[in-house]
Amino acid sequence: MSRADVAAWRARLPAAFGSAPRTRLLRGLGAALFLLWLSWALAQFGFTPRRLWNGLEGLATILRLMVPPSPGAQWAEILQGLAESIAMAFLGTCVAALVAVPLGFLGAGNVVTAWALRFSVRRLFDGFRGIDQLIWALAYVRAVGLGPLAGVLAIATADIAVLAKLYAEAIESIEPRQVEGVTAAGGGWAERLRFGVLPQVLPVMLSQALYFFESNTRSAAILGVVGAGGIGLQISERIRVRAWDEVAFIILLMVVIVATIDWLSARLRKRLIGG
Amino acid sequence: MLELQALTRRFDTTTAVDGVSLTVPAGQMLGIIGRSGAGKSTLLRLVNRLVEPSAGRILAEGRDVTALHGWALRAWRRDCAMVFQQFNLVQRLDVLTNVLVGRLAHQHGLRRALVLLTGTFSAAERAMALAALDRFGLAEVALQRAETLSGGQQQRVALCRALMQAPRLILADEPIASLDPMNARAVMEALRQVNRAEGITVLVNLHHLDTAREYCDRILAMQAGRVVFDGRPEALDAARVRDVYGITEAEFAAEAAAAQQRAAVA
Repeated sequence: MSRADVAAWRARLPAAFGSAPRTRLLRGLGAALFLLWLSWALAQFGFTPRRLWNGLEGLATILRLMVPPSPGAQWAEILQGLAESIAMAFLGTCVAALVAVPLGFLGAGNVVTAWALRFSVRRLFDGFRGIDQLIWALAYVRAVGLGPLAGVLAIATADIAVLAKLYAEAIESIEPRQVEGVTAAGGGWAERLRFGVLPQVLPVMLSQALYFFESNTRSAAILGVVGAGGIGLQISERIRVRAWDEVAFIILLMVVIVATIDWLSARLRKRLIGG
Repeated sequence: MLELQALTRRFDTTTAVDGVSLTVPAGQMLGIIGRSGAGKSTLLRLVNRLVEPSAGRILAEGRDVTALHGWALRAWRRDCAMVFQQFNLVQRLDVLTNVLVGRLAHQHGLRRALVLLTGTFSAAERAMALAALDRFGLAEVALQRAETLSGGQQQRVALCRALMQAPRLILADEPIASLDPMNARAVMEALRQVNRAEGITVLVNLHHLDTAREYCDRILAMQAGRVVFDGRPEALDAARVRDVYGITEAEFAAEAAAAQQRAAVA
């Protein structure tokens, strides 16, 4: 390629040679501003090497106290708490995943063409997503009382909106030609959804639900702190009395459980999706 | 010169390629024919090392390429460009970037880091890609996403990508099986032209005997992983086809057409 050839091509198709200098300058300015803002924000939160160093020392003390991990005297209680956490995560995710399916269809632009309906459904998701699981748990503990029921409800309510949004997005990115095939064969809207859309999105929905189950097993540990059942109560009690060796024991068990769930869900996904 | 020595590939229960020995002189256009499942695709994929051989060796200019790994393997793949039946373009990238994918194995050091980070190539390379696209009448669609193009256009883009690799060898795996006759002709003409004008060796898998006869210097017929015919196109006459495949040429053509239909539907 001689220089003249390059110049000729640049003249013929300038867009193929990158953005205009003005756009590039603006982009550079934007990046610089973002970096400035980021460092300013970090400074505002006291993100200084000195504080980080001191924090590390505190962490080291806790780590020293954790070795060796010990089940303590009430290991039966720990096991029960863990089982309760897993059950809460499972039930909560199940309910959320099921309720989110129809809501996901309602929020998908290529299914619900009525603009106003879709818009309100989407904003409803946004509203629910703005409230964290822990807030829901606090509310449900007041409403239905202490215990795992509040935890299950909190997990389900918080996840419905998130899963519905993810499902809606999965539905919007399907391949339209396959649906067209069903339409051309005389399928109505229900047939299109059932035979054109659902087979494409089901694997995605399933993997997302499985991931949420795993993630909820982790976050269910926190719900106990506010009295919504599960292992969290045991953890917070032990932290209060500085029984870090027992906390370490519980954490190790949690890691094993999450790893097991991850392994099981990978196998399940493979079986159901056949990938 | 490309040399295969007793090249064999076994899958679980079947032997896809069974002791194929072959010498391809530089600049030859070799057509490989055979029914579906004869091992044509596996043979080409073995040469590009997309599939690892179970036994045997591949020599290029006397150098053993069966044991290459890391950068040396990437350089070998750059030198033997692959063209696929289903084009294998990145659908969400624009046509120009798809063609520039052919330059990836040419980037080193800082340039490579820059390309990976920003996805932008040098002006000379872009001009080169545009010139390649222009050669096949595709310069106007350079900035469209690959998914907006027809099959024939996509295969020509794939050919541009292959040429950008500056290969010594082009491995075309059923390049025209998913194309209509007019586009098929354009792609075969392009392959022939590249072979003639630039002296690039071409190995092309084909369903149709007629196409192979029309464009190739030499024809290799495969059956159940083995080479059952190797010679000049005119030597593979009707009687020879019946000998080799036990069916007449018309039946062979009908079967090829059916396989092509299946491929187009898939």
